[in-house]
Amino acid sequence: MKYLSILILLTISTEMVFSQEDSIQKIQHYKEVIVQGKALKDDGDNGFRLQSSTESLLNILPSVTMIKRGNYALEPTIRGLNAGQINMTIDGMQIFGACTDKMDVISSYVEPTNLEKIELNTSPDGSQTGSSVGGGINFKLMRAEIGASRKFNGSLGAGYQTNSNYYQGLGKLQYSAKRWAILVNGIYRKADNYHAADRKEILFSQFEKWNAGINLAVALNENNRLYIDYIQDEGYNIGYPALTMDVGYAKAYVSSITHQYENIGKTLRSIESKLFFNYIDHTMDDSPRPKEMVPIRMDMPGTSMTFGAYSKANVRLGSKHLFSIQLNGYQNDLHAEMTMYPDIGSEMFMLTVPDARRKTIGITLADRWIVSNKMKFDFGGRFELNASDIVTEIGRKTMTSFYQGNPDQTRLNGNVFVNTNYKLRTNLSLFAGANYGNRSASLHELYGFYLFNRVDNHDYLGNPDLKNESSLNGNIGSELKYKKFAVRLEGYIYAFSNYITGLVVPEYSNMAPGASGVKQYSNIPSALLTGAELSIIYNPIEALTLQSINSYTFGIDNEKNYLPYIPPFKSANSIAYDLKGFVFKVEHVGSAAQNNVSTERYGESTTPAFNIFSFNVQKYFHLKNHKRLHAEVGVENIFDTPYYEHLDVMKIQRQGVNVVIRATFIF
Amino acid sequence: MKKIILLSLAGVVALTSCKKDEIEETNPINEQSVFTLIKKDTTSNDYVVSLFAKTSSIEVGYNNLYVSVKNLDGTNIENATVTFDPIMDMGTMSHGSPLIQPVYKSGSKMYEGVVIFTMPTGDMGTWTMSIDVNGGSTTFPIVVETSKPNTKYVGSYTGTDGEKYIVSIVKPFSWSVGMNDVSIMIHHRMMDSFIAVDDFHVVMDPQMMSMGHGSPNNISPTSDGNGYYSGEVNFTMTGDWRLNFDLIRNGDTIVTGAYIDIMF
Repeated sequence: MKYLSILILLTISTEMVFSQEDSIQKIQHYKEVIVQGKALKDDGDNGFRLQSSTESLLNILPSVTMIKRGNYALEPTIRGLNAGQINMTIDGMQIFGACTDKMDVISSYVEPTNLEKIELNTSPDGSQTGSSVGGGINFKLMRAEIGASRKFNGSLGAGYQTNSNYYQGLGKLQYSAKRWAILVNGIYRKADNYHAADRKEILFSQFEKWNAGINLAVALNENNRLYIDYIQDEGYNIGYPALTMDVGYAKAYVSSITHQYENIGKTLRSIESKLFFNYIDHTMDDSPRPKEMVPIRMDMPGTSMTFGAYSKANVRLGSKHLFSIQLNGYQNDLHAEMTMYPDIGSEMFMLTVPDARRKTIGITLADRWIVSNKMKFDFGGRFELNASDIVTEIGRKTMTSFYQGNPDQTRLNGNVFVNTNYKLRTNLSLFAGANYGNRSASLHELYGFYLFNRVDNHDYLGNPDLKNESSLNGNIGSELKYKKFAVRLEGYIYAFSNYITGLVVPEYSNMAPGASGVKQYSNIPSALLTGAELSIIYNPIEALTLQSINSYTFGIDNEKNYLPYIPPFKSANSIAYDLKGFVFKVEHVGSAAQNNVSTERYGESTTPAFNIFSFNVQKYFHLKNHKRLHAEVGVENIFDTPYYEHLDVMKIQRQGVNVVIRATFIF
Repeated sequence: MKKIILLSLAGVVALTSCKKDEIEETNPINEQSVFTLIKKDTTSNDYVVSLFAKTSSIEVGYNNLYVSVKNLDGTNIENATVTFDPIMDMGTMSHGSPLIQPVYKSGSKMYEGVVIFTMPTGDMGTWTMSIDVNGGSTTFPIVVETSKPNTKYVGSYTGTDGEKYIVSIVKPFSWSVGMNDVSIMIHHRMMDSFIAVDDFHVVMDPQMMSMGHGSPNNISPTSDGNGYYSGEVNFTMTGDWRLNFDLIRNGDTIVTGAYIDIMF
């Protein structure tokens, strides 16, 4: 794990490499969002981010843009890459959504209350635990702190938002002893339909959920610790206005046991091993929708089960090398089915993911070579073997509908990477990286059976003959850092081969009523993705912070068609002023129009530009005995501007004006 | 988990109870309990004939029928000449049906043939079956059940040539989602005889009627001789499927819109 390595490295070589440890660095989020815990500044421990949502935390990252299908489970894309192209893990554990319509992205099963931080990789690198072409997101879980200064601590919070009559309640409690500690957390969230500008109600955008997590930490001895984690997340009656169906329930059970050995002084600095199991039970249904909206009633339940293990070791080789090796293996089983109830005739049943299974084993090797106090290199690679097959007789029979031959297969995947960072001057560093990575087609892309995609209005068929998709990726950038001013600029390019996308199969007729046809996942020879990200932060005086995060992405395929899911130029700017502990913040989020669309090829249409403004004020009230109250009042989309983002499915308008009130009691 | 156990228990119970029913319904003297005795009778020349089906009853459409022929002392007769003659008596008129005359098979120790009942027993009329063994016969009424709701296993169509054709689906079948072998028979009705037709070019198009979609990769049946045509049908889901057939001869579509409805 790269981040673990970084942390360890920081402790040994702070003077050597990062001598410019200043306050400005802490509030910047290029590759990670810290949610809670020691990594935050004193004030932020148990911070207000607990009251946020996982989606809005992800949105802070310049490389991340969300695909919106409803007011719930927004799907993160990294520089326009999504689904099988990126890896999403919870604390290093593989977990795969059960829904065939991407209603249950992994990020919807973790809440800020569970998280210590969100870690982002924009390209394949040493922290990869699966094959990908676009990096990944890891949701690092918060662990209980052994031997904390106070035996009991925790927080309780409540929030309300006027726009969707949304309320939430959350809490966390930690008990910390000398040799062990336990942390429990929970959140409940419920919203009615939200309203776009002019109080236009967006029907079927409601949701309700709860999430509870527990972490038990035991110090076996000085160097060995054991962690047990369990998260249960259950959502109910979740509306997806952009889709033809809603969700009756979405449930996830995530469990793991972790052993950690750590001895900073030794050559073998640490070994972390984890056993994990998770299960997702998800059901799409359309029963709350009125008859005239539903051409045919159907239920579409699906399950996803994953178990596996990993073990990773960090070894210090001399004073110049920090080497890490990771072995991991996991198995994922997917099942999805559909039962349709016509007005006349008998009910119909089919498998939409015909009981597919993938077993993966892999090894990741990485080295951090500290060449000098000016220069370092990270390099390494990952190799993995995965076997995919159909495990039931009805599943195999289903495959015969569109595939002659044996759908079972074994693939070899991997990536190699090198990243370097060069400190030109105390305040200026340059960085560059290059890597090659490839990935297997996902189980949906291999075996999916008439999966409806609302964006291009086509049913999708899997294709067991897909070739691996690969990407050659380069990035270059520089970081300028002064006490009051910091700028970071990064440019990147991804050159894809055998890019996987859907191609129309004209002789097939669609199954979804009203669909325009059938597409099958296919390889196109190549595609190109390029873009840049610019972040600026400026503290002219201590109390005033100006921040600007900008990103632009551009993607075309081999026939010069613009790629889908590519965000246009977007810019998030804020001014925050601290007046005696009251922090006033005005925020602007804007986006240029996206006219780079290929309607014919990928089904997207253009999206106009928008600018929205928000305002909020927050303060920590210090009470007796280290207790604090954090209060926050804000207005989002102050001018009630009608807008939607380019990645919003079906271009359903986003929230109009919204008043947010939150209070957190920290003890 | 509990649910799974309960379900599997229920399944076991259901399975065992099914088996029991089958045994009770079948002829205890016959070793192969899969056969259902339809009728046992004695011909005018003193042969004991028993008519069996593999299904629990005879239903409209294609039926595999089995005739056991024994002496009065119970000796199995293997080399007799056995013929069927099913007659539908509709009052003002009567007609037979397409059939394949029985032939002795050592496997079942019975004479195996096929009768395609074109209509069920009902208000329209009743069926009788004559079985002839070496010139002596017996005639008895039989009940032809309708096929289950939303199914149609046989149809009669008038072609553009003015002739009548009968299209039926061959049993047994056990449909599943995915590619399935499918076999049909085509007969030409001439006066009161039914002639197997082998010279049609058949085009098959399966449709899910309640959703208005078809399925890809079907292989239209081609002639195997003796009126049989076999191909492959792709059922992308369970439910009510209609198999539409066009019968083409020398480039002319003789019958269009012939169909078979199945449900699983």
